[in-house]
Amino acid sequence: MNQKLVNILLVEDDEVDVMNVKRAFSKNNIMNPLFVAGNGVEALEMLESQIIPLPKIIILDINMPKMNGIEFLKIMRENERLKNISVFVMTTSNEDSDKINAYNLNVAGYILKPLSFEKFLTSVATLKNFWQLCEL
Amino acid sequence: MKEEEGKCQQELAALRKEFEEFVYIVSHDIKSPMRAISNITTWIEEDLGAVENQEVVANLSLLKNRVNRMENMMNGLLELSRVDRVELEFYEVNISKLMANSIALFEPNSNVEFTLNMTLINENCVTLGAKLQKVILSVLDNAVRFHDKENRKVGVEVVETENNYEIKVSDNGPGIPEEVASKIFSIFYTVNSKDVVDTTGAGLAISCKIMKLVGGKIKYTAGINSGSIFTLIWPKIIILKN
Amino acid sequence: MGNASILLVDNRKAIVECIRKSFSEIEVKHTLFSAANENEAWSMLDGSEKITPIPKIIIIDINRTKNKGIQFLTAIRNHTDLKSILVFVITDSKTDKNKVAALNLNIAGYIHMSFESQTLNPFVSVLNDYWNIIEFSSQK
Repeated sequence: MNQKLVNILLVEDDEVDVMNVKRAFSKNNIMNPLFVAGNGVEALEMLESQIIPLPKIIILDINMPKMNGIEFLKIMRENERLKNISVFVMTTSNEDSDKINAYNLNVAGYILKPLSFEKFLTSVATLKNFWQLCEL
Repeated sequence: MKEEEGKCQQELAALRKEFEEFVYIVSHDIKSPMRAISNITTWIEEDLGAVENQEVVANLSLLKNRVNRMENMMNGLLELSRVDRVELEFYEVNISKLMANSIALFEPNSNVEFTLNMTLINENCVTLGAKLQKVILSVLDNAVRFHDKENRKVGVEVVETENNYEIKVSDNGPGIPEEVASKIFSIFYTVNSKDVVDTTGAGLAISCKIMKLVGGKIKYTAGINSGSIFTLIWPKIIILKN
Repeated sequence: MGNASILLVDNRKAIVECIRKSFSEIEVKHTLFSAANENEAWSMLDGSEKITPIPKIIIIDINRTKNKGIQFLTAIRNHTDLKSILVFVITDSKTDKNKVAALNLNIAGYIHMSFESQTLNPFVSVLNDYWNIIEFSSQK
């Protein structure tokens, strides 16, 4: 991803969490185009109807109305066009069952949303370094 | 009579389940707005830039500290509600390694002199390892955290008996006033104000619930001169109900 | 995350040693196991040499052999107890012949790196930071 900036889709229902990600991105100079969907249903619509360019990275919340993150992942992994997108779960859920389900659906990482913004900034900086290391 | 008793037991089990689910849902869903309060406070701080009024700075910092405490308390509550639902795997634990590793976690930043004495027949035991570790860490954390002296000492003694491991953790700290000793196993109870020693007061309540789950015991006694002694009776054979 | 096991699959002794050294210099807290090839790795995952708990992470160069690496990863993804393992492909090969196949198997990262000891540490350091911010499910 060194050369061109890949698209990122954020699937998140909480307005403050969306602002949080945007702020952390800008503080870390992450310039990638960021698209936002409010839940799994909305994300699938955006991806399937090709309203947005295909993202290489999806940041996914788990507890969401209409369609939660795990349900979204299941459908996504069965779709030929979408199944190889890298997914990073970002959630408050510390439930083992959510972690097991997410890793069984081969997410690239499961990150707990920390309480403080400072800690979140550090996590996002680490993610940025990791993304720069990887070929997507 | 028998029938009635059975019905009572069923109702009790249903109520307990409902209560635990309630605690879980409440503490889980409250986390989102809590995080929002914490984050927005930081944004306000950032956007304000340099502020002349020191009271504003101090109040923002207090706000963050209290939200942080609230999160820790919520996590404690969540953990308490899940004691008999998670980490119920039995696996082989090397008791002396577990003790040494647990102590090692506190050694780097605590200025405490630890001693460890063990009389074991068999070093290995198949048990609820994660639970045992949790209780030991929580008792050690108490011994270290509430310590008020220059010359801090924490002693750990493990004796294996026919049916149990008896683990005694003693310190030369301030001890617990006799009149409140009965309250220390209640959730969120702290001997001092939470502003004096930043703690949630959940560790012993969780430990107590774990000991009940495994059919063991945890008790507090005052030290001979000063300080506290916590004694854990951890059964070698654990039978979980249901 | 707590302490987990990492399985490195590579037949070049010198490179395995380099990575081991880098792990200790970066102070990676996870236990590193290594296998010289896919067969050996498989026996450590689901055979006579089985590691318990099952490693949470596999690191492998899939461009060294024709398609053995991809076959190995496919077998992992089709195995109930192994499919959740995080896979990091590291490679110093210029040809990316197996890249698309690997990405289709939902690897966590495809990483070009050089295995010289001076340049290895920054790579391992980023990976280690990443492993430290992610959560894993409890041990199996």
